[in-house]
Formats: sequence, C-alpha cells, structure tokens
Amino acid sequence: MESLFAQLVVLESSLVLIFGLVLLWRRRVPAYVSAFTWQSLVLGAVALTVGWFGRERELYFIGGLLVLVKGVAIPRLLGRMERRFASEREIAPYVNTATSLLVAGLLVLFGYAIMRPVVAASDLPTRAGMPLAMGLVLVSLFVVVSRKKALTQVVGFLMLENGIALLAILGTYGIPLIVELGVFLDALMGFLVMQIFVYRIHSTFETIDVDQLDRLRH
Amino acid sequence: MARGALALLQGLLVLALAPGVVGLVRWLKARLQNRRGAPAWQPYFELRKLFGKEVVVSENASWLFRAAPYVVFVSTAAAALLVPVLAVPLPIDAVGDLLVVVYLLLLGTVFLALAGLDPGSAFGGMGSSREMTVAALAEPTVALAIFALALSAGSTNLGQIVARTMSDPAAALSPGHLLAFAALFVVMIAETGRMPVDNPATHLELTMIHEAMVLEYSGRYLALIEWAAALKLLVFFALLGNLFVPWGVAVVLTPAALALALASLVGKLAVLAVAVALLETRVAKLRLFRVPELLSASFVLALLAVTSSFLSR
Amino acid sequence: MTLDTPLAAGLAMIAAYLAGAAGAVILPGSRAGRVVAAAGAIAGATAGVVLAAGVLATGHAFALHVPALLPTGGGLALRLDGLGAFFLALVGVGAAPAALFGVGYSAGYAGRYSLRWLGAMLNVFLLAMSLVTLADNVLTFVLLWEAMSLASYFLVMTEHEQPDTVAAGAWYLAMTHVGLALILVAFVLLMPPGAGSAFADLRARAIALSPAIRNVVFVLAVVGFGSKAGLVPLHVWLPRAHPAAPSHVSALMSGVMVKLGVYGMLRFALDLLGVGPAWWGALLIGLGAASALIGILYALMEDDLKRLLAYSTVENVGLITIGVGAGLLFASLREETSAALALAAALYHALNHTVFKSLLFLGAGSVVHATGRRDMNRLGGLIRRLPWTAACFLVGSLAIAGLPPLNGFVSEWLLFQSLLPAIGSPAPLVAPVMTLAVGALALTAGLAAAGFVKAFGITFLAVPRSPEAEHAHEAPATMRAAMAFLAVGCGVLGVAALTVLPRLAALLAGYAGLAAAPPVLTLGPSLALPDGFGSMSPPLLGLGLALGAAGVWLAVRLGAARGLRVGATWGCGRIGQTPRMEYTSTSYAEPLRRVFAEVYRPTEDLTIDVHPESRYFVQSIAYRSEIVPWFERYVYGPLVARVTGWAARTRALQSGSVHAYLAYLVIALLVLLAISLAWND
Repeated sequence: MESLFAQLVVLESSLVLIFGLVLLWRRRVPAYVSAFTWQSLVLGAVALTVGWFGRERELYFIGGLLVLVKGVAIPRLLGRMERRFASEREIAPYVNTATSLLVAGLLVLFGYAIMRPVVAASDLPTRAGMPLAMGLVLVSLFVVVSRKKALTQVVGFLMLENGIALLAILGTYGIPLIVELGVFLDALMGFLVMQIFVYRIHSTFETIDVDQLDRLRH
Repeated sequence: MARGALALLQGLLVLALAPGVVGLVRWLKARLQNRRGAPAWQPYFELRKLFGKEVVVSENASWLFRAAPYVVFVSTAAAALLVPVLAVPLPIDAVGDLLVVVYLLLLGTVFLALAGLDPGSAFGGMGSSREMTVAALAEPTVALAIFALALSAGSTNLGQIVARTMSDPAAALSPGHLLAFAALFVVMIAETGRMPVDNPATHLELTMIHEAMVLEYSGRYLALIEWAAALKLLVFFALLGNLFVPWGVAVVLTPAALALALASLVGKLAVLAVAVALLETRVAKLRLFRVPELLSASFVLALLAVTSSFLSR
Repeated sequence: MTLDTPLAAGLAMIAAYLAGAAGAVILPGSRAGRVVAAAGAIAGATAGVVLAAGVLATGHAFALHVPALLPTGGGLALRLDGLGAFFLALVGVGAAPAALFGVGYSAGYAGRYSLRWLGAMLNVFLLAMSLVTLADNVLTFVLLWEAMSLASYFLVMTEHEQPDTVAAGAWYLAMTHVGLALILVAFVLLMPPGAGSAFADLRARAIALSPAIRNVVFVLAVVGFGSKAGLVPLHVWLPRAHPAAPSHVSALMSGVMVKLGVYGMLRFALDLLGVGPAWWGALLIGLGAASALIGILYALMEDDLKRLLAYSTVENVGLITIGVGAGLLFASLREETSAALALAAALYHALNHTVFKSLLFLGAGSVVHATGRRDMNRLGGLIRRLPWTAACFLVGSLAIAGLPPLNGFVSEWLLFQSLLPAIGSPAPLVAPVMTLAVGALALTAGLAAAGFVKAFGITFLAVPRSPEAEHAHEAPATMRAAMAFLAVGCGVLGVAALTVLPRLAALLAGYAGLAAAPPVLTLGPSLALPDGFGSMSPPLLGLGLALGAAGVWLAVRLGAARGLRVGATWGCGRIGQTPRMEYTSTSYAEPLRRVFAEVYRPTEDLTIDVHPESRYFVQSIAYRSEIVPWFERYVYGPLVARVTGWAARTRALQSGSVHAYLAYLVIALLVLLAISLAWND
C-alpha cells in the first residue's frame, strides 16, 4: 500500500514535470495550452491521490478546484488569447531547443541535489516526488527567462505556480485550505494582470515579442 | 546444455522472425492508410529474390564495400543472439550484457556508414554523415536508459534484468521503468530509421538517411543489409518487450512454458508493430535538424528515469 | 629469476638508448644512422618491458640509488614499483613500433633535416620517459621530466623552417613550463623542511600536512600534470605540436608522453598524498568529462588528419581521467572494490590508447609519406593505393571508436561498468555526478564513432581528390611492420582482457584507498563484476563474430547467386562521377556542426557575386567558415595579448649595454640579499 502510494506519487510527479518540458520542445501556443491543461489535470490527480492515501478530505476539494480553475478555466482564457494572436509562435528563443532541453535535464538533477537533505529528513511517503516538483519550478523559471513571447512566459509562470502547488501538496499534504485558496486567487489575479499586459503590448507593438520592449527606452 | 541449445534455437527463431516483423509493420501501415498492402510475408519473397540476383558494384568501391554487408549482418545477429527472447537465464548472458548489445549494433552502423562513403557518391556520403550524427546523439540516451534499468535490477546482464522485474511486478510500473521505456522507444525510432526521424519508404534520395547510405547495394549484399535492418528492429522490439514487460518469458524449460513464451513474444511484437505503424501514420517526418531536439528530449526522459530511480529507492 | 635480472635489464635499457643516441650521432651516412637509432630504441624498449614485467610478475619493487650522481639533491634515486612498472611497460609498447616506423619514415628527411639530431633526440626522449617512471626523489623526477620535455620539444622542431612548427614549439614550450612550475611548487609544499626529498619522505610528510595544504598540492599537481596530459583547458598545445612533429614522434607524444601526465597525477593521488576528500575525484571526473567532450567535438571539425588525431588524444585522456577520478572518488568513500575497478579500467584504457593512437598516428604518417598532405579534403581513395596502411588504420579506427571485439571496446565497457556501481553509493552528490559522467562518456563514444568513420572514410575511401592522392604509393616494409604490430596488438589486447585486467587490479593493490588484495574480476571465460553486476566475454565475443562471419560468408557463397558486375556509381541519372561530387571532411561534419553550433560558434562569410543584369544569375559564390575554439578566443587570446604587452613594455630595459645588464644583476643580488636578511629575522 505504502509503496504503491509512493510509486503513484512519483509517477504523477514525473508526468507533471514532463508536461512542463513540453514547453521547451514544442513551438506552438496550442501545444503549450494543452500541455498546461494536462499538467493541471495530473496535478489534480496528485491532490486526489494524496487525499485518498493520506486521508486528507480537504485535498479532494483542492483537487477539484485545481481541475476546475487550472484544468478548465485558465486554458479557455489562454485559448482565447492564442486565437487573438494566432500567427505568433516562438520562433527563435534565446536558447535553442536542444540546449534548452539539456539545461532542463541539468536543472532537474540540480533540483534533485538541493532537495536531497529535505527528502532525507522527511519520512512522508510522498517525499520522493518533491525533487521533481523542485525540478519543475526551476524549469519553469528557465522558460520564463529564455523565451521571448509573452504568451509563452505566461504559461511558464502558470507552470511555476503548478510546481509550487505540487511541492506544497507533497511536502505538507496540502497547506491549510485558506492559504491554498489565497495562493489560488493570487495566481488567478496574476494571470489576469498578465493577460491585460499582453493585450497592451500587442496593441502597442503589433507583436507580443517581449524583445520589442526595449524600444520603450527610445 | 539444454539452455545452451535453446540459446542457439532462439537465435535461429529471431533470424527467421525478423523479416516478418518488418512485413507486419508495413502491412499494418498500409491498412491504416486505407491501402490493401502487401502481405506480412512479402519481405521473405524479397529476400529470396535478392539472394538470387547478381550484384552490381560501383567501380570506385573497394573490398570494404563488399565486406561490410557481412559485418553488418553478423554483428546485428550477434546482438540478436544476446537479447532474451524466449527464456532466461541462458548461458549466453555471460558473453555479453546490454552494453555489448548496444556496441554490437554500433559496429554494424559504423560499417554501413563506411560502405556508404566508399562508392564516392554524394548520396552515400550524405546518408553516412546523417546516420552517424543520429547514432552519436542517440548514444547518451541509450546509456542512461541502461543506467536506469541497471539501477533497479542491480545488473546490466539481460537475463538478470528480466528476472528481477519478473520477481517484483511493481517495479515494472515504477516511473523509472516507464520513463526509460519511453526514452528507449524514441531511440528505437531513431536507430531503426523509422518516422519521424527517417522515412523507410522514401524514394527521394535527398530526404533519406538509411536508404541513402545503402543506395549502392544490390543483390545478395542488399539482402544481407535488409535482413540485418529487420533484425535490428526485432532486437529493439525484443528489448522493449522483454526487459520492460517480462511476463511470458520462460524461466523453466518445459514445453508449456516455452509455448507460452513464444505466444507472448509474438503478442508483444504485434503490439509494438501496431504502435510503430500508428506512429508512422500519424506523424510527419521531422526536418533533419529537428532530430537532435527529439533526441535531446529522449535524453531528458532518460535522465528523468535515472533521477526517479534514485528517488524511489 | 635471479635477483640481478632487474638490475641487468635496467642497465641494459639505459645502455641501449644511450648507444642508439650515440650511434645516430657518430655513424656516417643516413641509412646506418637511422637503423642504429631505431635498433637502440627497440632494444631499450624491450629491456624496459622486461624490467617492468619482472617487477609486475614478482611484485617486488626494483630500486637503484646512485648518490654520486646529483649529489646535492639526494643522489640519483630510481625505484620501480607496480604503478611505475605499468607506465614503463607502456613506454616500451609505444616506443618499439614508433622507432621501427621511423627507419622508413625519416628516410624522406635525408638531406633536408639533421637525421643525427633526430635519431639522438628520439633515444634521449625515450630514455627520459622510461626513467621518469622510476624516479624516486624530487630532483631526479624533475630533471628527467624536464629532459623529456626538452627532448620532445626538439623533436617537434624537426621541420624547423615551417612557420607553423615554430609557433607550435612556442606553445608547447610555454605550456610545458607552466606545468613544470606548478609541479615544482607542489613538490616544494610536500617536501619536509630540512629533511630529504626522497618520495618516502614526502609520503611521510603528507600525512602530517593540513588538509588545506594537501588540497593545494593536489590541485597544483592536477593542473601541472594536466598540462602535460592535455586536459581541457590546458590542451591547446596538443593539436599544434603533435601534427608538427614527425609522425612517429607524434605517435610517441600522443600515445605515450601524455600518459606520463596521468602517471604524475596517479603518483601524487595514489601514492604521495594518500586518500583525499571526495571532491578530488569529482574534480577529475569533471575535468575528464569536459576534456572528453571538447576533445572529440573539435576532432570532428578538423580537416587535418593529424590534428584530428591530436584532438582525439585530448578526448581519450579525458576518458582516462574520468576513470581515475571515479577511482579516487570511490577510494575516498572507502568503496575499495569499485575504486580498484575504476582505476584498473583507466589504466587499461591508457594502455589501449597507447596502442591504437600510436597505430593511427603511424597510419597518418604513412599517408603523409605517400602524399605529402594532411588535409583530408585533398585525400581519398587511398584504400586501393595503400592497402596495408588502410587495413591497419581501419583496425585502429574501430578500436578507438570502442567497437567490439577490439581493445578500445573492452576498456570503454569497463569504464562504463566502473561508473555504474556508484548507484549503490549512499554518499550525496555521487549519483548526479556519475549520471552526468555516464551521459558524457556515452556521447563521447558516439561522437568518436562518427569522428573515426570520417577520419577513415574520407581519407581512404571513394575517389582521390588531388593528384598527390591519385599517385600515392604504399609505405616501405619497416613502416608496414610497425603498423601491423600495433594492429595485431589492438586485437590481442581486446581478447586478452581476461589476463590483462586481473594483473592491472593486482598492481594497484595496496595503494592509498585500495585493498591489499585485488578484487576478483573474472569468472570462467568472462570478465565479471562483483555482485553479478555485469559480465562480458571478449574472447567468446571475438570468436563468435569471427565464426559467424565465416559461416554467413560460406552460406551466402553456397546458397546465393554469384554474379557480380562492375558499374558506375548511381548519380540520379547523371553520367560521370568526379571527385568534386563526393562528401568531404567538411561536409561530413556539417550536421554535427549545426547541432553543436552553440559550442563551435563558427564564423561564416558568404559572398555571392551576381550578374549585373539580374540577381538571379550568380557568377561566383565564395564561402568561408572558420571555427576558433572559444577557450582560445576568450582565454588564451587575451592572455597572449597581455603577455606580449608586458613583454613590449620591458623592452625599455633592454639597452644593449653590458654595463646596464651588470647593473641589473647587481641590483637583483642586493634585493635578494635584503629579502633573505628580512626573512631570517
């Protein structure tokens, strides 16, 4: 039972991480959106798994919320934005795809290295997933840094948030519900603000390539 | 002794089965594309025909061109002999482990690449250069996938990996295993020249990798090379099927167990053939310079496999 | 074996090399000089191997102390233990075929360069390399090390009128002396004040040293010896100096001399310093992985055959260093079996590399001898014109690419297998380090296969791309014999792993961090790792492949149609095949150049002249692309510029007047005396 729980958690965490890596490999925004959707659904599944095996009722609620907000609502909004800027794709990121993937691999290993003491000190059955969650956080940060299109960065930010949520679920079996909800709201607000920014950038520059922002100086 | 004989027997079985697997993939692909397609045993007729034909050799080619098909065939067959097909453990395990299988396949690739350069044609050189690029970039993924497998099995010996997974069914579903499977599947696609890396059915020289390299071959030499290519596909299928999903492989040498092993082998090959045919029907060929990205993605998968194997220990 | 046999062998070795050197100088006529120089070298090498074999077989060290020589530094102290004996044998294995090859190869130098000097220096170089492995005190070691460096410098400078050679010599001299300076500092830090400088004293002192100083000594030794071994980023002299030297000297430098850098590191880490912290090993693994990858990546881009081989030496030294690093890492974690396996794998790869890299350099020498060219874009088609050279070069290429059943495969397999046990290690960070090392090792192996398909395929296959290659001729018998000897060695060392590996493990037993009894690494006809971790049988594999090939050949011969027709190469309907249509060295590497564009950062320059009437009619296209290694652009470029700048500034001191110089001397003396006064207070 215990080992099944542990294996399921690592498996789901790996899936969450892999959907994050899709951002580095694919180049079209619809692919990003569907990767994010799937990632959020699996994240919801993680919450349900931990809730079931860890007997934490609250996590069912959080899992459902995750699926609704991040698996359904945000992807819809993203899809709308995508349709609006249909021709925009990530053509030349700062770091090319192959290198990005290798960097991501190194970041995952690095995540493993920095989470080692935490994992060693913990005796939760979910501890094995935490380095993967940390890996996702690092990879999402890398996405935000290395991609040029605002939309990609928005998805990167959302995945970063997913990584933190995963870490919270695995590390503490869900922080108190009220904090969790606050974080959710934060993320949603952040997303809406970013959405507005993206629209503004687009109406000013006719593109959402954030490289263009340096034109503001002139 | 019986096990030694069985090792030879399964070698012969693999040799006989290989063209059929390629035929099966072709037939499935044709059906998926609403064509009738040639029957699955068509490759056997092709081999017979090729063995009966005279050989045309380029005037620029040296002895290496004529020796290469034999080296390619024998090295691939040796790799096929080492892979667990029907039963474990076999005495042949002591001759070579998983790393040896990989290096034997690389030996064949190197000779094909050399033979591609030998006639001095631009196509051959192109195919050779691309094939070596793909092979080189696939190597780290293979090594890490092996690393992940060895991590959970405590050995790189093929028989032991199979036995260990069989004794611990939960291990087969562990993330390390699944990710290593995914990584090795990508490598299989790249190494056997399947879509989306290479198109085995192309007739346009400029888009070829494997086919461009063997463009100059004909007659019995081509037969050996085609057979070796089919064997290579079967080796990868058997590795994917038996290392990751070992059930069905015989542990005791009773007729019933062996019959079950044969049936499960055929079943696994069929499933993998369907997977490859589906993939080849659904995806378009990648540009050559997207292939390294695919391979680095598979490398990351393998790296994740190793990492999660550390984690779940 | 009587007690005196080692002494006799040792003296015979020294005498033979000296006789070879003297004979080369004294004997009149080119032919006699060449033959005697080679005979002396071969006799010396043989005696060296006998001496080493004696020490390895009995396990007793051989010692010789002559206080009368070098009286100030504790006398000439020689002592041959297991580690030294291995490297002495390695020198012998590389030296004999290179010397034999030199007989034919240097015939082409007669009348152009001094053959006396070449023959004498060759023997001095070999003697110095042999004795370095025996040195047992600081002064002996440093003097022999310097003699080795200088002799090799003179050998590099053989074709001294070529501007490239002069530049290569300058790079080599600078790098080797920076290395020597660091080694000296490392020795001085280890030397007990006031006491002797024998290695035994150093060993005793190392235990008492503070960890910080031990770390400093280790890093100095790694950097100092690394510059000789060609570790990145200290490898810049290798691709310059090795191609500039005569080919048999390149073989010695690449095949043998760089290994003595590894020897130095091992002498410090395993013997003088004792077991260190885990990061020593991790540092070496990192340096080794970087060297392996950077070496092979630049080798792939090379169009010059000998430069390609030199870069590949950087790669292989990297592989050896990974093994050494893994050994030290395991030793510091007290995992003695794993440590012994990793170090034995490293030594095995060092020996194998000596054999196949010497073979490849000799093969390249034979190509240069036949065509006068090293640019692969201008070669091609040599397999028909130089069949022996081609066959030997092919064996070397397959061996270095790590393909079964040759020796390179066995040692690469062992290297892999020595890294994998790390997965059982509870120590933090070992697992990620080893994972990355495995990835780097595998990528290196794959790229090496691509690189040597290119080296062999472009040089020897297809149609000649220049008149020189068209009219090439096979090498004389001595050169062929030397290559054949090494080619056979590649096969034998592969198949004989079952006898070689246990000996390597045995000679390492008892060094710092290693168990006194060597681990058992064989089982029946197989190499088998402890705990059933993996097994592989080189002889059965070789036998199986040979029998299989014969069987298939026979079956095809009996069962298939026999017709064979010679026709033109298929050209898509085009008629006529010219060498210009072939793939060249540059085009072969193009896909990898694109894949690794972020590493290479090639400069590209494309000029298209169009017809004045319409831009659709192109008149000429000029394309130039160059790769300047980034460490040369960003590290060595500025460094050299700054040093040159300082040198220009000091020119003001150069008045040309003798009195001024005397004044400088007096001032320097006074300053030194003042410092020593202050020091003593």
